[in-house]
Amino acid sequence: MRRYFLAPLVLAALLVVLLLRPELMTPLLRLLAEPGQDLIYDRKPLMTLALWHLALVGAAGLVATVIGLALGILVTRPGGAEFMTLARMASNLGQTFPPIAVLAVAVPLLGFGFEPTFLALCVYGLLPVFETTVAGLRGVSAPVREAARGMGLSGVQRLWRVELPLAMPVILTGIRLSTVINIGTATIGSTVGAVGLGEVIVAGLQSGNTAFVAQGAALVALMAICAETALRGLGRLADSGALTRA
Amino acid sequence: MKGAMIRVEALTRRFGDAVAVDAIGFEVARGEVLALVGTSGCGKSTTLRMINRLIEPDKGRVEIAGRDAREMAPDALRRGIGYVIQGVGLFPHWTVARNISTVPRLLGWDRSRIAARVDELLELFGFDPAEAGPKYPAALSGGQQQRIGVARAMAAEPEILLMDEPFGALDPVTRARLQDEFTAIRRRSGLTAIIVTHDMDEAFRLADRIAVMDAGRILQIDTPERLLRGPREGFVRQFVGLDDRALRILSLHRVRELARPAPDAPAPAQWVAPDDTLREAASRLIWEGGEALAVVEADRVTGEIRAEDIWRVGTRGAA
Repeated sequence: MRRYFLAPLVLAALLVVLLLRPELMTPLLRLLAEPGQDLIYDRKPLMTLALWHLALVGAAGLVATVIGLALGILVTRPGGAEFMTLARMASNLGQTFPPIAVLAVAVPLLGFGFEPTFLALCVYGLLPVFETTVAGLRGVSAPVREAARGMGLSGVQRLWRVELPLAMPVILTGIRLSTVINIGTATIGSTVGAVGLGEVIVAGLQSGNTAFVAQGAALVALMAICAETALRGLGRLADSGALTRA
Repeated sequence: MKGAMIRVEALTRRFGDAVAVDAIGFEVARGEVLALVGTSGCGKSTTLRMINRLIEPDKGRVEIAGRDAREMAPDALRRGIGYVIQGVGLFPHWTVARNISTVPRLLGWDRSRIAARVDELLELFGFDPAEAGPKYPAALSGGQQQRIGVARAMAAEPEILLMDEPFGALDPVTRARLQDEFTAIRRRSGLTAIIVTHDMDEAFRLADRIAVMDAGRILQIDTPERLLRGPREGFVRQFVGLDDRALRILSLHRVRELARPAPDAPAPAQWVAPDDTLREAASRLIWEGGEALAVVEADRVTGEIRAEDIWRVGTRGAA
């Protein structure tokens, strides 16, 4: 257990320290700033921005995961195959649509702030989860599926007891990918007023303050790496079977 | 045949334009083992899978112990029939013990009964329950996996076992041992079974009757010996193989059937056991160049078997 989560824990600790004591970054930031410019973004506490950022990505990730999983399960059921093309087209479209375009469309409908960003991230995070769910469920070997039917497991029992547990390592890869992409993508939400670490970057760009841009980018990157290693650890745990063995 | 355990009538299944199974019918008596043999694509697996409704027939009916299979819920029907599939299909995320307990769990057996049954089956198939039970399938050899596959199918004490190439993809030594094990187990438990195989030798070893299939039809269904002595012209003759039929007939009989009385004595250097096949006895006689062999049980001579008697069994017209 510890060897899977040591790296993300160390990185998370580093992130928390930097969020609470951003002045630790000043020696490096000084190299980037013009004389007289502020070095540390102080209009809102960085910790508050980080927590909102995380909440946005978490909520959108949860919705994308639920919808992606549900769609993936639906199209791999015997009666759902005909929805395959449609579902794949929809989730592909979600991925190809630039999030900034989704924002542009969503703002007039949902207003500024959390909601349009949330929508853009849901749409953007859907494809990886959907595709890996389909790949994972289809990857369950034919003899195993045949055995499950032949033993008399019902459709629901086959899904819960056999197919999903065996597909889980692959599905977790999709959730990881989706989350990491969205931690980065969420920064653009600050252009429409969503509270998050993007605010630091946007403020830096507007005022020509490279130190702001750098600290915002560094904190977001650290958060993304943190999530990546944590979810990778979870995936390895699933691979080792500890999550799915009954 | 009154009280057939499995009765199949005019069973038909098409896939697109191709007729996979063409109006076939047969019966399997309680405690009987029937082998469906034929080349790939002859419809034998499809036939098997229609019996537990993994494939629904287009026409015809299947009766299990006198009940129409269509009247039973498919899942309930399958829980009552042991099924061993080609490729074993053990659940890789479950331990051996959990795999074996699949159907008993579905049937809601209590824990202690399941644990006892799992241990019993592991022992029956030559495993140490404490050692093998907690292992995962990936830690087992191919032969061990196939044995667990059969054990899993038998877990809920089904009266019927359907087996699709149960011992395929194994080396000949392991396969022969599993076949012997299976024969011993089914004698003890009175199982009714249908075995699908493309291996005529396997059918001769395991089955009481053999149905030779081609292009979705049963060409001949008979006991192994009658199939060897009177195969129909054409495909059956070719598939059964007539070159060594005398020896094959000998392998269907045991020494005890022909043993003559002999005075009690200690076992000599060369001998046969009452349960050895006549084929084994014949081979030993040819090798030794003798006219007779002692039949030995528990280190004492209990009879003798003569070459002339053995030859007579393998001769055309004998029965």
